[in-house]
Formats: sequence, structure tokens, C-alpha cells
Amino acid sequence: MQKTSTALTPGLIAIVGFLTLCPVVMLILGSFSGELGAFGAFTLEKYVAAYTDPAFAEILVSTVIFTLGSALVATGLALFLAYLNTRTNIPGKFIFGVISLIPMMVPHILFAVSWVLLLNPSNGMINLFLRQLGLEGAALNIYSLTGMILVEGLLDLPIAYLVVAPAMSAFDVALEESSRVCGASNARTLIRVTLPVLRPAILAALTLVIVRSLASFAVPSVIGMPGRIYVLATHIYSIVATGYAADYGMAAAVGMSALAASITLIVLYRRLTREGEKYVTISSRGYRPSVIDLKGARYPLFAVVVLISFVLIVLPVLVLFYTSLVPYVMTPGAKAFAAMSWRHWATVLKDPVSLLALKNSLYLGIGGATLGIVLSFFVAYVIVKVRSKASGLLESLSFLSFSFPGIVVGIGFMWFFVQTPLYSTIWALLIGYIATYLPYGLRPLTSAFVQIHGHLEESSRVCGGGPLYTMRRIVLPLLVPGIASGWILMATMFVRELSLSVVLSRPGTEVLAVQILRFAEDGLWGRLSALGILMIFISTALVVLANGIAGRLSKKD
Amino acid sequence: MEIRVKNVSKFYDSEGKRIEALVDVDLVIPSNRIFTLLGPSGCGKTTLLRCIVGLESPDTGEIAIGDEVVFSAEKGIFVPPDRRGLGMVFQTYAIWPHMNVFDNVAYPLQARSEPKGEIERKVARALRFVQLDGFEKRPATKLSGGQQQRVALARALVAEPKVILFDEPLSNLDAKLREETRKELRRFLTELKITAVYVTHDQIEALALSDAIAVMRNGRIVEMGTPREIYFDSDRQFVADFIGHANFIPGTVAAAGEKATIVDSAIGPIACARKTGAAPGQAATVCIRPEFIRVLSEGRGGGENVFRGTVESLVFVGDAFEGEIRVGETLLIFRIDSTAAVREGEEIALQFDPRHCSILMN
Ligand SMILES: Nc1ncnc2c1ncn2[C@@H]1O[C@H](COP(=O)(O)OP(=O)(O)OP(=O)(O)O)[C@@H](O)[C@H]1O
Ligand SMILES: [Mg+2]
Repeated sequence: MQKTSTALTPGLIAIVGFLTLCPVVMLILGSFSGELGAFGAFTLEKYVAAYTDPAFAEILVSTVIFTLGSALVATGLALFLAYLNTRTNIPGKFIFGVISLIPMMVPHILFAVSWVLLLNPSNGMINLFLRQLGLEGAALNIYSLTGMILVEGLLDLPIAYLVVAPAMSAFDVALEESSRVCGASNARTLIRVTLPVLRPAILAALTLVIVRSLASFAVPSVIGMPGRIYVLATHIYSIVATGYAADYGMAAAVGMSALAASITLIVLYRRLTREGEKYVTISSRGYRPSVIDLKGARYPLFAVVVLISFVLIVLPVLVLFYTSLVPYVMTPGAKAFAAMSWRHWATVLKDPVSLLALKNSLYLGIGGATLGIVLSFFVAYVIVKVRSKASGLLESLSFLSFSFPGIVVGIGFMWFFVQTPLYSTIWALLIGYIATYLPYGLRPLTSAFVQIHGHLEESSRVCGGGPLYTMRRIVLPLLVPGIASGWILMATMFVRELSLSVVLSRPGTEVLAVQILRFAEDGLWGRLSALGILMIFISTALVVLANGIAGRLSKKD
Repeated sequence: MEIRVKNVSKFYDSEGKRIEALVDVDLVIPSNRIFTLLGPSGCGKTTLLRCIVGLESPDTGEIAIGDEVVFSAEKGIFVPPDRRGLGMVFQTYAIWPHMNVFDNVAYPLQARSEPKGEIERKVARALRFVQLDGFEKRPATKLSGGQQQRVALARALVAEPKVILFDEPLSNLDAKLREETRKELRRFLTELKITAVYVTHDQIEALALSDAIAVMRNGRIVEMGTPREIYFDSDRQFVADFIGHANFIPGTVAAAGEKATIVDSAIGPIACARKTGAAPGQAATVCIRPEFIRVLSEGRGGGENVFRGTVESLVFVGDAFEGEIRVGETLLIFRIDSTAAVREGEEIALQFDPRHCSILMN
């Protein structure tokens, strides 16, 4: 294996290097070029135009408030939930597992749309309801920075949870216990001991959410733009989306600052997590964290957790499904029930553009994830098992794209694809998707490879298993869960992809999320909801399918 | 089965530097004995073991197991590990987490496609042997450290290999369990009558478990012998020091008699066990283990090797006192019965039994 892998590494570095660096290089070149047609002609014109725009300062301020606010909301909630799950005797702990799976369930754009349907000032369902009660003044306006922050915070909660929860459960209980022995109460221990010790994890979660919300496009476009609140991502979008006057040079110039900010933050994040990221395999010692008895607060807190999960998963789906059935937005009631029909569904299923978008997204989801996981498999193998200087380079390269905002990558790729025959084909999207989401496939696969301690293979060899037998009975079965979860993550990400597609998708290569955004811009909520439910259905079907196959594969042994 | 290792060397390249993990190792591991490779961390024990099982291929030399040459650099022979028919227990146990206990143990038999009934019979026997009967269906991840260790042992034994190799199999267990398991292992291995090669850096484990010990240092074998020989009659200061504690008193050989060799040292002449080849005038070091320093009760002088000294420190460790005595300028560590009436600061007379004073030639 050692010999083949020496040839493998440079090849992979070339592929991954192209995927991650091409959009960056093209973005830089593009930003100095001016026009798509004038690639390579040096000019500073676009930078001057972009950064002297009087509106730019306001956009920056909104961006900072939006990202910081979302980070605080998401991390705060994540800490609360992680603490309850790992350290207390709260009932129904399975719910916490579900919370970490949410990113796979409800696409961000649909989540944002469902809150618009509930809380928009003119006909949001909750607002209509308040109006019926005569509470005119109580009407809430989702089209505000607060609205954006709350929705984005909820959306990024799972990712913050995934960072905070392991730190919370790996936490050395002895530190807390010694504080309690010294006479401190539970609350005091929490504030004086638990939180400070968890500081690296908390900072890491904050940083990660800032990066994510900086890259977020769904919430700023669906909630921010109608309220004329622009952040960097939507600012870039508006520069290229204004039909006849699309200015990719200026978009690239603005994109440079978003990219620089993201890279800086992700470097910070890597530094924060380096400590805690020691690879862990099965340990021989049992681990028993001490559990705090919540006593009377047990069920009220449980209710809060259930409410959060309801708001995160069930509510959006309910709202969308309801909206897809009623002719126009109305509060639920007898009148609404009488008016229900499948009309929007029929329209969508006859709409050629929606059907094309469905087909394209399905193709990208299945084909793209499969290609992506094959690439991830080899990259993960080299990163974990070969361990040379070159594999270190490969690792840095492949996790780099994690920090890039999709819309910026899109602009960069746009500069590349217009010079090639790939422009406006589905291949452009496929390449862009794999480049942007490679870390999603890589993460589960590297941890699967790491879990296969060298001794597990060697022991099989000593026990009389030849190389192929060892591969079949030890290596593959241990990898199947990693392959499955990597594939599922990539496929669901591809089916819902928005921020990259919004730049790269052209007539003929429409995809689901872009079509949904168009419906939102036109206020066609009924059709949007029908298509959205279809989108959720496809994602769920892919998850179930992949899990089924993986289950069968690992059972076969 | 006997294992013969001839002239085996193994080098690694690490960051441009050449690491000599094994240098010209020559070794015959006798059949049906427990043979231990002992040495400090990084001395090459694991590397030697891995060369024997075939997980590593040496750069020079030859390895034969029984009559079969499994490795020869000269003749270009390399038998892969799966065809060497050995059993091995890894330091991490390497229990496969996706299988239950039964499948883990049955694996070597399944790899050889033995009939199903036969497999069940042999697995049941192996599990009974390590006292894990009834654990067949238990997932491997739900085992304690000690249980994992026994599953690993059962797996190594189930195919009835002629040789079984252990790489620090007890180092992941806590002290008490380690001691129990060590005794159990000794019983298992004696019962089985197979060749066992055991790697450890723990001297007590090596002394308690082995029929023969090879002490390694910097990729070389420095000494070989039975536990008693290694402990009492080592030829080298490194070995004597590594195996338990010892006092080393430098001096020169004064007389080489029939029964004893006399060494002139800083604390005076010491009569030692006879050392062949020691000639007057040669530099030599006397090695005395702390447990062989006797405290004489008041008034009883007389005899050989009697010295006077002051008790500098004294620690009660349960079954004994351990401490230091100053004789002239020399500090000696000693260990005496906990019933002895000795106090710190007291001047006492002490005596070494010449039979337990060994000479290391420099
Ligand atoms: N794959 C490798 N690459 C480079 N150097 C290695 C490799 N394996 C072992 N070494 C080096 O070879 C030497 C001997 O290592 P070995 O693992 O045999 O030591 P050991 O006696 O088993 O030590 P320990 O008691 O700590 O397990 C060490 O210096 C080690 O760093
Ligand atoms: Mg070792």
C-alpha cells in the first residue's frame, strides 16, 4: 500500500488544490480585471468603486451585528442544551441526538421562509392572528436585524452544539467535584469552574458560527432583503443579480473582504480547537460523568427542550405544508380548511422550470455525493494513514474550503467557468459543489479511518487473514458508517445548495433552492411551499436510502 | 517451537535522521518457555517482536521459526504475517469494535475456513480457558480493560499456535489487576506448554513471569539468562541497575582468591563472590542490593565485611524499612525488616554477605 500511496498523494494534491484554490485565484485575478470579458487587464477601478460606495459602511455594520448576534444566540442555546444533555438527569435524552441531526432535515431557505410566513408584517400568520385579536400594535416584523439574528441563530444552533457537547462530556468531572467539595453550590460551580474550563470550546463555537453566518445566504436574502437590510453576502448577490448590469469585477472586489474575514476566523478556530482535537478511539477505561439532579426543574426544562426541537423541526414543515394547501396566506381555521386544495402542487408539478430544478438537484445530489465521497475516501486515506509532509499539505488544502462563503466561491468559479465550455452546464455546479463541500465528506471519513487503529489491521494479519480478507472483514465494515454519513451529508447539502448555485445556475441548470428563492422573490408562497416539501422529502428519502444500504453492508459480515 | 534470530538489524528514517531500532540482534528463543524481552522505553523490544511476527521486515539478517525460515534478507525470503501461524496479543488488544466477543475469537478460525461446528467448539473452549464463557454475544465495545485483554488472549490461543507473542499486554491495566492477570497468565502459559515471547519494560513483571530474560538496550541484547541469574549475577551495571535497585561501589581488585575476590573501595576492602578473570589491580565495581545489607545488633562485631555507618534517612514502607546509611563518604541504600530497632541518626554496624556482593568489571 505504501508504494501506491506515494503516487496517490501528488495526484490528490493536484485535484484538491485545483478545487479549493481555483476559485480563490480567479477571484483575486477577477477583482483586478474589471469586466468578465476583460480578464487579465489590470485595474484597481473595481476596488475603488466597491469600497468608496457610501452604502458600504452600513453594510459592514449590519454584517458585524448579524454575525455576532447569531453567534451569541446559537452558542448560548447550544451550551444550555449540551449542559442539560451531558450533565443532568433530564428525561428524553434521545431528543438531543435529533437536534444534532437537524442540519440534514430542514434546508435553511425553507426554515427562513417558514418564519417569513409566520411573522412578516403584512400577512404573517401570527401577525394576522394578533390583528384578529385586536392587538394591532403587537405585530412583529421579521424583516429586521433582530429577526435575521434569531432565525440564523436557531439555524446555527446544531453546529454550535456539535462543538460544545463533546467538550462538555469530555470535561473532567473531578474539577467540578472538587469545587463542590469546597462548598460551592451547583450554580456557583457552573459559573466559576465549568464555564471557564470550557472557554476554548465556547470560543470555538462562537467563531464557527460567525464564519457560518458570514457565509449564510438564505436568511439574509429571504428575511434581510425585503427589509432592505444588506449584509456582505446579499450585497455581493445584488451586484451580480441586477440583470443587465451584473458586475462580476466589483462582486469579486467585495468578495475579497468576505473571504479574508472567513480565512482569518477559520485560522483562529483551528487554533482554538487544536488542543481538544486529539483523536480518540475506544478507551479501555469506563467513563462516568457525574449527573446533576434537576429535581423540580426536570420537567419544565424538558418542556423547553421539546419546544426548541419543535420550533426547529416540526414547525417549519407544518407551516410549509399548510401554506402549500391554502390558496393564499390565512390563519388556520374553518375557512382555511374549506379552501384547502392541491392546486399549488399541481401547478408546481406542471411547471417545467420546477421539474427541471427537481431533476437537476436530484442528479447533483446523488451523482455529486458519490463522486465527492470517492474523492474524500482517497483524501482521508492519505491524510490519516500515509502521514507525510505532503499529506499534511493535502489536509490543509482540503479543509480550507470549509471557510469560504459559497457566494464568494461562486463568483470566483464564475470567472473561471466563463473561460471554459463548462459555463452554464450542470458540470460547473457539480465541480463547485464538490469543491465547497469536500470537508463534509472528509470529516466522517477521516474519523472512520482514525478509528481503525493500525493494530486492528495488523492483528487480523497475524490471525491469518490475508490483505484482501482483512480489507473485507475489518477495514470496510469499520469504514461503512463513515462512508454512509459522509455521503448523506454531501447529498443533502447538494440537494438544498443555494449560495453557490445562486451565482452559477443559469437558465437550463436551475436547481431547487434557486427556484425556491425565485418563488420567494415573487411572493408565490403556495408553490414555494409545495416545492419545498418535495425538497425535504427528497433529502429524507436519500438519508433513509443511504442508511438502509449502509446497514445492509455492515450486517453482511 | 524454537525461534532463531540471526544478525537482525532494523533502521528507520525519521526526519532525515537514521534511527537504529535493532542492531545485529542474535537470539535463540527456546521452545515451550516463557521468554521475556526486557528493556527501557525505545530500546527496540516492540520492533523485534514485530519483525518476528512479520509486521515489520528487518534490513538485514534471518529469522527462523522452528524449521521454517520466515525471513532472510540475503535469500529474499519474507513470509507474510498471515502465513506464519503465530498468535499475538497487542498492547492495545486490538479488539475489533464491530464484532462481538464470539466473532473476535472465532476470527483466526474463520480466516482458515474451518467448519462451523469446529469453530464453535474451539471458541467455547478458548473462552472457557480465559474464564469468559457466556460472553459470546457481548459487543466488543462493552468490555472492561481486563476482559478485553482476555478476549485478546483467547483470540491468540484459539488456533493453537506454536508460538504466542505479547507486547506489554498488562500495561493498560491498573496495578492490582495487573498483578492478578500476571499470575493468571503465568498459569495459562505453563498449562499450555507453548513458546511465549513477552515484551515488557517492567522488571517485576519480567522476573515473576519468565523462564528466561533478554535485556535490551539501544537496539542490542546486552544480557540473557534466567531471572535469578539476571537479578543476582549480572555482568553489567546497566542490567543490575535496571533490574531493581543496587548500590555500586567503585574500587580496584586487591586479591583474587579461591573462594572470594577482594576489592579495595572507598569504604574499605570488600570480600565478594569469586569473579573469574579478575586480576589484582583492575578497576571493578561492587554491586550490593539493598536487601542484602544486614544490620548487626549491638555488641556482635566480628566476621567479614563489617562496616560502621550512620542512618541518614529511614522510611517505613509496610513490610520493611528503606533508607540510606552513610559509611565514610559513601551513601548506601538499604532495606531491612520492619521489626528491626533502628532509628534515624543512629550509628550502627552493618554487614554484607560476600555471596551477594557481585563484581562488575568496568
Ligand atoms: N515506524 C517507525 N518509524 C520511525 N522510528 C520508529 C518506528 N517504530 C519505532 N521507531 C523507533 O525505533 C526505536 C525502537 O522502538 P520500539 O517501539 O521497538 O521501542 P520499545 O522498546 O518497544 O519501547 P516501548 O517500551 O516504549 O514500547 C525507537 O527509537 C522508536 O522511536
Ligand atoms: Mg513497545
